[in-house]
Amino acid sequence: MSKTLFEKIWDSHIVVEENGRSLLYVDRHLIHEVTSPQAFDGLRLNGRKVRRTDLTFATMDHNVPTSDRSLPIIDQTSSTQIKTLERNCKEFGITLFDINSPNQGIVHVIGPELGITLPGTTIVCGDSHTSTHGAFGSLAFGIGTSDVEHVLATQCIMMEKPKTFEINIQGKRKNPHAVTAKDIILSLIKKIGTAGGTGTVIEYRGDTISELTMEQRMTICNMSIEAGARAGLIAPDEKTYQYLRGRKYTPKNYDEYVNLWRENLKTDSGAKFDKSFTFSAENIAPQVSWGTNPAMTTDVTGNVPFPDEYGKGNPEEEKGATKALQYMDLKPGMAITDIVIDRVFIGSCTNSRLEDLMEAARVVKGKKVSARVRAMVVPGSQLVKKNAEELGLDKIFKDAGFEWRESGCSMCLGMNPDILAAGERCASTSNRNFEGRQGTGGRTHLVSPVMAAAAAIHGHFVDVRELDLN
Amino acid sequence: MKGSVIKYERDNIDTDVILPGPYLKIHDYAELATHAMEGLDKDFHKRVKPGDFIVAGKNFGCGSSREHAPIALSYSGIKAVLALSFARIFYRNAVDGAFLLPIEIDESAYKDISDSDSLEVNISANEIRNLTKNKVYKMKPFPDLIGKIVEAGGLFNYKP
Repeated sequence: MSKTLFEKIWDSHIVVEENGRSLLYVDRHLIHEVTSPQAFDGLRLNGRKVRRTDLTFATMDHNVPTSDRSLPIIDQTSSTQIKTLERNCKEFGITLFDINSPNQGIVHVIGPELGITLPGTTIVCGDSHTSTHGAFGSLAFGIGTSDVEHVLATQCIMMEKPKTFEINIQGKRKNPHAVTAKDIILSLIKKIGTAGGTGTVIEYRGDTISELTMEQRMTICNMSIEAGARAGLIAPDEKTYQYLRGRKYTPKNYDEYVNLWRENLKTDSGAKFDKSFTFSAENIAPQVSWGTNPAMTTDVTGNVPFPDEYGKGNPEEEKGATKALQYMDLKPGMAITDIVIDRVFIGSCTNSRLEDLMEAARVVKGKKVSARVRAMVVPGSQLVKKNAEELGLDKIFKDAGFEWRESGCSMCLGMNPDILAAGERCASTSNRNFEGRQGTGGRTHLVSPVMAAAAAIHGHFVDVRELDLN
Repeated sequence: MKGSVIKYERDNIDTDVILPGPYLKIHDYAELATHAMEGLDKDFHKRVKPGDFIVAGKNFGCGSSREHAPIALSYSGIKAVLALSFARIFYRNAVDGAFLLPIEIDESAYKDISDSDSLEVNISANEIRNLTKNKVYKMKPFPDLIGKIVEAGGLFNYKP
């Protein structure tokens, strides 16, 4: 029988199945300091151990400072949470990449970078952007703390089978340096909405997807959750196998695995999806979000919409847009390129990898950050930082007036000192423009790394297709 | 279950406004509760009473997987959220820890229920009674497994 890639991975991980609900085996469990403390408390309370310490990996990313790491952490609650993870990992025997480790970084950046993420595996993590790992053909779910505890204790997760959703993206982008993976995923979410993928596992297919590099595919899968999907998947190919070869945790008999993956990890021709959506990437413009959820996004050449125009006759949508414009302090009809910004954040599990920084550096090289803007680059991991420094990217950014910081989640979610002040407006390469996400009263515009870099230089949004990026 | 309604006429109420990021460092549930809904409604904490219901629009709880969101609502006294639809991780977290009941209602019930109405929710009959307006609405029945986990009082008490 023909099967989708999702069905193949799902079926091969069922431990028990009963009345449509399954107990699935978990191949890799990633943990971090924020969603794990209560899970370890639960284990302790019930006298349970971690079932597979060899399949569990921890790092600290959400609230680590991105300033000088030789200094003590000033925020006591952050410090406590970080120390608690250290203590828990030691007590339960879990590998931890701590704040001083050369492998520390955002959990979704280090998983692939260390070869922990592998095709055909199931991965869970107490973080919604776990969908990132789907770029490797891994079925990866974000979970909450109760489930983290359940997986620590049993290495299994109970689930009802999600539906399958094929998203077919066709066509060649005219200027791939200016129109990026971020623009593809933002324009998809704009089309299908923040709940467009609810209850489904998305498989991204089509020639546009095949053409993307692994890091670009991660940006796409990362934001699957912003469309409400349970996970996002891309079938592995030679790029995937090449990317993972020789990494720290890649299996020793790697070629045997690759042969198996080549044979099995694809959707069979004739396999049926529950839902399908096709669109063309040919005419996508650089995207800028104007509202307070990722679907409230438009082309850089466009205008801030009028609520009734956005609502298209739906009063709830119209009301939502009115509230969003109020919060964002934007006037309907104004050109996106007239939006003036105060801050720039290049980072997060969406856009903090080496290629993201290389692309942004093309725009920045030899220029100066606008006098009105404070801009920062936060590499996704210590390894990204090191590789970028070897290429001299740190110098390009610093010479232009950017801050070059240590790795972590940073200003994506405002848990560490990197936050927006009330009323500040930020061009951000992160994934969520929710109210207060980057700091109480802060205003977020989601963009690609090149768009963020250009906004830093000009002090407002510009159409990066008009810049010389080659 | 009986209680009064706190209504937010909004879609996409995300977990960042339900429990803003900076408070994810708090370990104590009672203290978390004092920051519930702070990103959207600074007065929520003063207003909420034990047994209250939140009524909201589509895609309630979208965004982050933080279980702190249903925990903060639960420890504020919220027994159930009645929404047009839920984001999946929020829904799962609410049920797993038996923090609160995520109840799906239809458009007519959503429109009809006003802020401060008194409601009585009867899970076994899949029924919501509006005591203020003397009306009855249907709720969407819980799927088999969810119903059993809810009945058992959470994932760890559920025995298949």
